[in-house]
Amino acid sequence: MENKVPVKDRIIAWPRMGRIDIPLKALVQSLGAKVVIPPANSNEALELGVRHSIEGICLPYKLNLANYIMALEKGANTLMMFQAPGSCRLGNYTKMAQKTLKQLGYEFDMVIFDMYKSKMKQTLQAFWHVTRCWNPWCYYKGFSLGFNKFFAIDTAERLLFYTRPRELNKGDAEKCYNKWLEITDETNSVWAAKKLKKRIQEDFKKIPIDKNKKVPVVYLIGEFFVLLDPYTNQNIEKELGEMGVEVQRQIMFGDWLEHVLKPSFLYTKESHRERSVRYAQKYMKRAIGGECIETVGDTVYAAEHGVDGIIHISPFSCMPEIVAQNILPKVSKEENIPILSLVLDEQTGKAGYITRIEAFIDLIKRRQRNQM
Amino acid sequence: MNAKYKYTKVGIPRAISYYNNYPFYFGFFQSLGIEVVLSDKTTTKTINAGCKQVVSDTCLPIKVYAGHIINLLEKGCKAIFVPSIQSTGYKINNCSKIRGLPEIIRNVISADFVMIEPTLDKTEKIGLKDFCIETANLLGITDKKAVKTAMKAGWKMYNNFYEMAKSGIPYQTALTNALEGKSVKKPVDIVKPLSIVIVGHGYNLFDERISLNLINKLEKLDVKVYTSLDVYPKEAQKSIKALGEVQYWANEVELTGVAAYYLLKNKIDGIIALSAFGCGPDSLMVDEIAYHCKEKDVPIMHLTIDEHTGEAGFITRIEAFVDMLVRKKRMIIGKNIKMPVKHPAEVIKIEKDKVCVGKAV
Repeated sequence: MENKVPVKDRIIAWPRMGRIDIPLKALVQSLGAKVVIPPANSNEALELGVRHSIEGICLPYKLNLANYIMALEKGANTLMMFQAPGSCRLGNYTKMAQKTLKQLGYEFDMVIFDMYKSKMKQTLQAFWHVTRCWNPWCYYKGFSLGFNKFFAIDTAERLLFYTRPRELNKGDAEKCYNKWLEITDETNSVWAAKKLKKRIQEDFKKIPIDKNKKVPVVYLIGEFFVLLDPYTNQNIEKELGEMGVEVQRQIMFGDWLEHVLKPSFLYTKESHRERSVRYAQKYMKRAIGGECIETVGDTVYAAEHGVDGIIHISPFSCMPEIVAQNILPKVSKEENIPILSLVLDEQTGKAGYITRIEAFIDLIKRRQRNQM
Repeated sequence: MNAKYKYTKVGIPRAISYYNNYPFYFGFFQSLGIEVVLSDKTTTKTINAGCKQVVSDTCLPIKVYAGHIINLLEKGCKAIFVPSIQSTGYKINNCSKIRGLPEIIRNVISADFVMIEPTLDKTEKIGLKDFCIETANLLGITDKKAVKTAMKAGWKMYNNFYEMAKSGIPYQTALTNALEGKSVKKPVDIVKPLSIVIVGHGYNLFDERISLNLINKLEKLDVKVYTSLDVYPKEAQKSIKALGEVQYWANEVELTGVAAYYLLKNKIDGIIALSAFGCGPDSLMVDEIAYHCKEKDVPIMHLTIDEHTGEAGFITRIEAFVDMLVRKKRMIIGKNIKMPVKHPAEVIKIEKDKVCVGKAV
């Protein structure tokens, strides 16, 4: 790891992925470091990223690079990046970003979380490297705050997905969700953070909903970045919710982080990945990198647990997801579940995208009617 | 002896790992007493058959692979060898599609056949020996000694092929001779004015349909062509390090490695990168190579191929590239040769002096 910037002057930034900034900010700040949050992903960010990256690279990299550039412009000097297990082009991101940014004339330190093995140790090492914080209480506070905020956001998101198609006054759930995001961001004590989850649940219960409404359930699967970043997936959850469809997402931040960070001996229940491997057995015998096996496993899982349809989203030319795309038609046939594959890149037009989703939802509804 | 085995015939598709490892596979199966059935050479028909099976986003080599499987099934093969080569070193992985070849084929082709699908994964410490034992087990052979002998036979054949190919014998000739167990001496080298290195995966470059016979086309233009067969993998790996890069992909030896080797040796005039459309690793590697080419002032051309590639446009681009290299070389030669030319003014002065001297005399 590089060490050019003195520890005192470090200002830390990381790429955006949905609302990952809220918990991570709490974590890093309680370790005593300064933080810069790059602006949310937008068309301008994407344009900036596309300008400075090569043609064939996948969409997440372009956005990550834009985030870095924007953060550096805002005064950051230490960049963090995850390299989660699984080996698609993700493993090359940091190397390429470093090279490109140096060509552009920026000076910075890159801190890489190499998550191949001994994840917790690596993470602690990386955080220690960034902050040089010796106080164990700070670490406890940071991780506790971070995790609790992650879980709070997850809870809010789950409730949002449930409430949105059923709400009586349009927009209530969205308002409530945004309010709680702000409160979560402002919370600064471990005690309050632990209570967040319950308070969110209580608040969402107050929204008037139509409990007897028959709502089709759609399961979202695919590449994690695209799933978790609302700009990249064109806010598909909101669109679906407003069409009156309940969304269940393959992965939440909390699950993802648990799998990435927790040491294996602390697992009490089956992790998300283990479950996917078990369910995917019939179609896949080996993991092939990326999130392919999760995609296939979760499709089978969803089909067995009363989901009406599945939407599979992936960035253009994502290698593991192309393999998954090849496998999914057979799964769809054998498990008897409709699947829609959507490929996203920077050229995707929203109108055509919505039309396809609408047609798919119509198909699901008709299928439900026929079954009744 | 053969009656013991579950299968006496194994089909090997003429795609992906065939182009790098076939001599080994052939020697291995032959020594075990198993007949090898090869699919026919790639044709447009093969590609079309493959395209029907897989989704459109898949890259050309995988489509071709599916086409070859169909071809083998038409030939009546009951067991087909579809290896999953996950990684060739610690954390040096292959592309997901090559890693998941058996998964794709299993779910995409709905015919009744058995896949011999061993795994090679050095990150998880599953080496070549385990790979071979697994292959034999799937065929119903449990005799470990026989497997060991077969491995040796495979290596012998592979090394023979590799030595021949490295000495400069064309790929096809080397392969045919190696399979017959012959060893051929290198022909006399003709010095050619230009030398170009083609970087590309073996399965793209040596497949005459996919690469549209690129090597021959260049040789007809009087160009000496270097490929990944001319460089030892170890030297290629060293060159990657010497260039300041880290090997990340298993195929990187064939691309960045070869390019780096020749860039450092400084003995080529240009580089042609050949890759399939939508190839993930290539998008990064070609960019890396281009970056270093810019540093060393070596021209590079990136040719992208897919199932629609038109041959005419392909030829035009190659010819233009070669013409450009020739012009560049001529210019360099022109600069380097220093003719003893005197300034016209000086010549006049000397003549005047001569005249003066003459007058004085």
